[in-house]
Amino acid sequence: MAVYPKVAETMADALGCDVADVKLDVSLIEGLDAESIDFLDMVFRLERAFKIKIPRGKIVENARGDLPESEFEQKGIVTEKGMAQLRAYLSEIPAERFKTPMKVAEIPRLFTPETFCKLVVRAQHEARAAA
Amino acid sequence: MGDHFSAFTFVERITHLSAGASARGIFTIPTRVRDFPSCLVAEAVGQLAAWVAMSRIDFRGRPVAALATETRFHRDVRPGDVLELGVEIDDCDEHAVAYSGWARVGGSTVIELIHCLGPMLPVGDFDSPDAMREHFVVLCGPGSAGGRFEGIEPSPMAITAHVAGESVRADLQVPRHARFFADHFPRNPVFPATLLLDSQIRLATTLANEVIGRTAAQVPARMTHVKMRSFIAPGQLVEIQASRAAHDAQSTRIALNASVEGKTVATARVEFAEGTT
Repeated sequence: MAVYPKVAETMADALGCDVADVKLDVSLIEGLDAESIDFLDMVFRLERAFKIKIPRGKIVENARGDLPESEFEQKGIVTEKGMAQLRAYLSEIPAERFKTPMKVAEIPRLFTPETFCKLVVRAQHEARAAA
Repeated sequence: MGDHFSAFTFVERITHLSAGASARGIFTIPTRVRDFPSCLVAEAVGQLAAWVAMSRIDFRGRPVAALATETRFHRDVRPGDVLELGVEIDDCDEHAVAYSGWARVGGSTVIELIHCLGPMLPVGDFDSPDAMREHFVVLCGPGSAGGRFEGIEPSPMAITAHVAGESVRADLQVPRHARFFADHFPRNPVFPATLLLDSQIRLATTLANEVIGRTAAQVPARMTHVKMRSFIAPGQLVEIQASRAAHDAQSTRIALNASVEGKTVATARVEFAEGTT
């Protein structure tokens, strides 16, 4: 993934860790101790680094895709249909990391640097398409 | 009105507002206060940005926890100085505000804030949205009555571990009661991040002077990677630590950490240079 070195460098700066620790498949929360403020920080830093726009607070919404919220989750738990959608959206995440049942609030625990690489690439494509 | 909009309020008038995009404002440091630390100047800039952000989303949310990529300290300010504040908003929505800003005195820059970020939380959790709206109208009109800030006594700090030139750790006792809590915030008192940073800088200054080992006093020149991770409540005991990160001929860099009951609540890095005054 061509954007990975710059994404890793940006994330390392935001998290205050060595760039070597930002492996493509490491869990940002469990492996690098990222918290919600770090996610916000990373999104803004990536926007500046790549001159793109990443919709804030919408990573989970994007993961839901066209699936209505009521079909994606029920009482805060991701439905079976929702899990299938999530697995497809987060295709870079190994299957064993998708625990069931999964709370919606736990979805960010799945995110890795590769998730953000994909966000950057998607935003670059959208920017090109809009130009 | 009591201490609301006075005990920890550092914008007395908004002189120019471009909705959601930029603002200029002023704050006069009362002559009766003993001093006005640079961190409070940064707070003033942040508060101006907060007014722009809150008005942008009709006071549904307000930035509370803070993140500042870089703060440049140019010089100290004095009681009686009039702070000319400016902010440029990079982005603002229901989730967060991103901005840069500055404060000047007599046209000369005293502080710069670069790429700051404030996550938005519901205004009603911290303050009365109606009272905020009303005060905003006053700020954008005639301005609020100046001279009401009475200064803030630094919170007591006791050094608990010290390796000269390498690291220093201290317990910072956040007061259970203080006037600024009535303003920050009336419905949910939170120890201001800028007061924590002021204490951390005081601790780090001791270390920076040891690292240099000369008589020339070290002053903070730049602060980076400021990140508040959790709120600090009245009465909490905060363990703050300053550790030498790097040192060269031009500067000394020190890593800062603050924790409550073992959990990190704030991190930052500060760079010191030889003082010129």
